[in-house]
Amino acid sequence: MDEETSQYYFTASMDSGKTLCSLLKAIQFQESAVFCALPEGLKFTVEEGKCVQASAYVPADNFTEYHVRDDVDVMFKISVAVLAECLNIFGSGEESSLKMYYRCEGSPLLLVLQPQSVYNVMTDCEIFTQTADSVLELRDEDCPEVAKLVLKAPAFLGLLSDLERSCDIIEINLSPEHPHVSIVTYGMQDRSCIEVPKSSDMVQSFSCEEPVTLKYQLHHVRLIMKALAISTKVVLRCSSNGLLLLQLKLEKEDQRQMFSEFYIVPLLDD
Amino acid sequence: MKFRAVMIDAGPMREFTNIVTTISKLSKECVLRIASDQLYFIVSDENSGPAPPILWCEIPHSIFFSEYQMVGLDEQHKDIYLGFNSGNLARSLITLKSAKTLKMKLTKKQGPCLTLDIEVPSACSQQTRQVTHDIPIVVIPRKMWSDFQEPRTPQPDVSIELPTLKQLRTTIDRMKTMAAEVVIRASAEGRLTLQIKTDMAKVSTRFKDLRVETYGGPIDHSDSESETQINEDMSKVCHCRVDAKKLSMFLSADSISHNRTVCSIIHKKLVILCLQTEENVKLQCFITGIVY
Repeated sequence: MDEETSQYYFTASMDSGKTLCSLLKAIQFQESAVFCALPEGLKFTVEEGKCVQASAYVPADNFTEYHVRDDVDVMFKISVAVLAECLNIFGSGEESSLKMYYRCEGSPLLLVLQPQSVYNVMTDCEIFTQTADSVLELRDEDCPEVAKLVLKAPAFLGLLSDLERSCDIIEINLSPEHPHVSIVTYGMQDRSCIEVPKSSDMVQSFSCEEPVTLKYQLHHVRLIMKALAISTKVVLRCSSNGLLLLQLKLEKEDQRQMFSEFYIVPLLDD
Repeated sequence: MKFRAVMIDAGPMREFTNIVTTISKLSKECVLRIASDQLYFIVSDENSGPAPPILWCEIPHSIFFSEYQMVGLDEQHKDIYLGFNSGNLARSLITLKSAKTLKMKLTKKQGPCLTLDIEVPSACSQQTRQVTHDIPIVVIPRKMWSDFQEPRTPQPDVSIELPTLKQLRTTIDRMKTMAAEVVIRASAEGRLTLQIKTDMAKVSTRFKDLRVETYGGPIDHSDSESETQINEDMSKVCHCRVDAKKLSMFLSADSISHNRTVCSIIHKKLVILCLQTEENVKLQCFITGIVY
């Protein structure tokens, strides 16, 4: 760390920005995200209404160099679309190295990208930042977890894409008795139900003590599909207040890991 | 007026198809000028009446055609100018992928037509199939020929060899999703910069070590709003702001296998992209600068 960059609030570099780009695209259902650089890694948070909160985590070990000043909060709002386009400026076929700089509050986020296969070109981007809005605190420590499932992501993605798109509501029934998981959607004239016993190939682990029925907006659940498409495994956790938490582990070639996380607020019974 | 040409080699046929496909992406209407030594494809700006062409493509007949006969309008005017829908020609040429021969001729059916006779080998027998396409055309009267003259452009301030078009197009396509206009900046020291500015971000992609073809002398920046770059002699840098969509469309010419492409910039006024192929095809695109 030289003198000059140590003045920056945040600096980081990595060999390829490609995975970061696909991770961002997976949570890109809103124009802007809250960018937060913590000592343990980067976190991007996107919210839909006050109902869905998606976060992408990039642990610090994914970077070849990572530095955050510990005496300040590095947190700002930034356009995810622009950030993703910038990371992808040399096309998806090209691996390009990435450097990020953030000087101080109110300054733009600087990106420097250089493709690995071509020597004579580089791109620098200044992406303007805004003061971050407060992020919802959805987790309630007082509500215990009532069920936890570990599923294979591709299979769960297949299941979600089989659901009728025009339905508004998805009902998830979990029970310690057969058929452990049943997913019900209600359409205009029909009701369809998919049952998944815990012996199914897609279920890697299942724990549920008491039967629970939870209802969500199908549209909200569908928001996780892009993230599922690039993940290997998904963990579903339900709390006693109905809050659904989905944790996804990104598929990556090397040993390092990236994650995404979705909180979905339940529909209330009327 | 007569025109008859025959093509028998696979290479030129593929090239010809790629050229026509590229043109059809740029414009619905297109003009074919048939001269004794070359074919010209000419595209004018659709929106702005009689204006200098925005695309000018020259195809020398000797490499492409094994037979080439034409008789022009009359003794003084030895050319033929035809107007037609470029998509019709592009679609007809799809069959050319596997063809053995292509005959092109001018015919009179219900109306004047450019007739393509394509001979396609059959997959299961020795016999060949004959595919005929009649493309309706308009013969352009003599008095309108002057609308389709080669654009006369001033001496460029900087002409610079471009990096691969595919790479350039990927970058422009990303930029185009963020902004409508791109500033192209070229320096006599071999640097090319593409830059966009929006209220969200400022993005610049810089290429260096490119070959400079011509440099037309110091460039006047006295009325310019452009920001000075550190370590750069501004009198050697010219720039031009152009429509990102148009630029991206012109760069789709990367499907034509080419030797080299040169970008010439007339400071703040015009960008000319010139692509040359092995077969001496020359394709030039003219993109006028946007000035506020």
